[in-house]
Amino acid sequence: MKIELKVNGVDRRLEVEPEERLLDILRERLHLTGTKEGCGEGECGACTVIMDGKTVNSCMVLAGQADGHAVTTIEGLGKRGSLHPVQKAFLEEGAVQCGFCTPGMVLSAKALLDRNPHPGKEEIAVAMSGNLCRCTGYDRILKAVERAAGEVEQ
Amino acid sequence: MKKRGRGLGCAWYGTGYGNGFPDVSSAFVEIHDDGSVSVLTGAIDVGQGSSTIFAQIAAEELGIDADEVTVISGDTDTTPDSGTSAATRHTYNTGNAVIKAVTQAKAGLLAYAARALHCTSADGIELKDHRVRVKGEPARSLPLAEVVSQARLDGERFLGSESYTARTTRVNPETGQGSPYWPYAFGCQVAEVEVDTETGNVRVLKVVAAHDLGKAINPLQAEGQIAGGIAQGVGFALLEEVQLSEGQIKNPSLSQYLIPTVLDTPEIHAILVEEPEETGPYGAKGLGEPAMLPTIAAIVNAIDDAVGVRITSLPATPEKILAALAGPSKT
Ligand code: FES
Ligand code: FES
Repeated sequence: MKIELKVNGVDRRLEVEPEERLLDILRERLHLTGTKEGCGEGECGACTVIMDGKTVNSCMVLAGQADGHAVTTIEGLGKRGSLHPVQKAFLEEGAVQCGFCTPGMVLSAKALLDRNPHPGKEEIAVAMSGNLCRCTGYDRILKAVERAAGEVEQ
Repeated sequence: MKKRGRGLGCAWYGTGYGNGFPDVSSAFVEIHDDGSVSVLTGAIDVGQGSSTIFAQIAAEELGIDADEVTVISGDTDTTPDSGTSAATRHTYNTGNAVIKAVTQAKAGLLAYAARALHCTSADGIELKDHRVRVKGEPARSLPLAEVVSQARLDGERFLGSESYTARTTRVNPETGQGSPYWPYAFGCQVAEVEVDTETGNVRVLKVVAAHDLGKAINPLQAEGQIAGGIAQGVGFALLEEVQLSEGQIKNPSLSQYLIPTVLDTPEIHAILVEEPEETGPYGAKGLGEPAMLPTIAAIVNAIDDAVGVRITSLPATPEKILAALAGPSKT
C-alpha cells in the first residue's frame, strides 16, 4: 500500500507492506535509527516518537496508520552544536548512560514541555513513566526534565 | 493501613576477576603534535562511563583538557585487550593501564623538553595548562603542541603501551588463605518504605546510599551509577523474578517481567566516601555492581521495621507480605 507522511518536516511517500510498523519504516526504510526497538510490545518506550504532537510507541503503530500524519523522531530535534533544550539538559545533568532509552525519553519530555512548559515534579514523573531505563535509576533524567522546564532554581 | 519503616543494608564486594585469574588491562597512548592525545583500550563503555574516565586520566597526567583526548575503545582490529566490562573493574584496572601508558609516553616528552628548555633533568619538567614548564620557573615554558611538533621534526615520537594486572592470588583450599580479590568496595544504604497492610504493596520512598569508591574521578557519573544500582536493587527486592519451567523462561518479556519505572523509584541521596585505595588510579576503585547490593537488604529490613514480618525469599511480592502478615498457615 502507498502512504504519505511527514517525517521531521519532510514529506515522504512510501510503498509499505500492510504488516509493517511505523518503527520498521523509520528504521529500515528511512534509516532513522535513533528510534530504538526495545520490547516490540508497547512496554518500554524506546521506540517513542511524536505523532501530531502526541507520543506514541512506534512499535504499536502500523505504517498504514501513520498515513497522513506528521511524525517527529529524535533526528528531528537538535543537531550537534544546536541541541534542543531537552537534549542539552540531559547532557548537563548526566542523564545518559547506555543511551538506549534516551531518544524516547527526550521525545517524551519534549512532548510534555510542548503541552505544558512548566510541569510539576509529579506531572513530569507521570509523563516519563512509559519509558523504561535500566541504567540511570531515573534520578538524573527527572532532574534533566526539570532543568529543561526551567524549574531548577540555581 | 499504611505503615512506614526504615532498614539498613551493608555490602562488601571484591572487584575484578579474582582468585588469581589473570585480570589484565592494556592501553596504547600517543601524544600528537597539536597537543592532543589518543588513548586506545579494549574497554567497552556500555554507559558506565569508562571512556570519560580514561580521557580525564590522560588529561590530568598531561595538563590538557579531557575533550582533547580521543578515546578509542573496544575495536579488536586496533585496540589492545582490556578484558570485559564486568566485575566493576575498568576504572581501577584499565584506569591503571592508561596511567602507566600515559606515563611511558610522557617520559619521552619530558626528556625531550628538558633538553629544549635547558633543564638538567626530566624531573625538573612539568606539564600544566597546555604548557611544558620548568618546575618553579613558570617563565621558562613552551606550549605543549609546539614542543611535540618540534620533537616530531626531530624524529621523536611519544608513545606508550602498557598493561596492568590486578594483584589477586588463588585461595589456598586447605587454609582458606590468599588474596582472592583486590580491591574491595564497601557500601551502606538506608531505605524508607511504606507498606500497605491491606494490599501488601510496598513503596520505596527514599534511599540514602553511602559508597566507598576510593576517589570519585567523576562525581556526576558516580552518583548516576549509584542511582542506577538502587533502581535495579528495588526491582530485585520487589518485582523481578525469572520464572523457569523445565528449563524454559516463562516470563521472557517486559510485559511479564516487570522492572521499575520512574514511578517505582525512590528519592535518592548519594554519599561518596573517598577512602583512597593505594593501588588505584588517584586512589579510585570500582562502584558499579556494589551500588545495587545493599538496596535489597535495606528494603527487606525496612519492611520488617514497618510491619514486623521477615521476608526470606525474593522478590518480596504483595502476596508474600500478605501471607506473612496473616501469620503461620495452619496446614
Ligand atoms: S519497542 Fe516499542 S514500546 Fe518497547
Ligand atoms: S541509559 Fe541505559 S536504558 Fe536508559
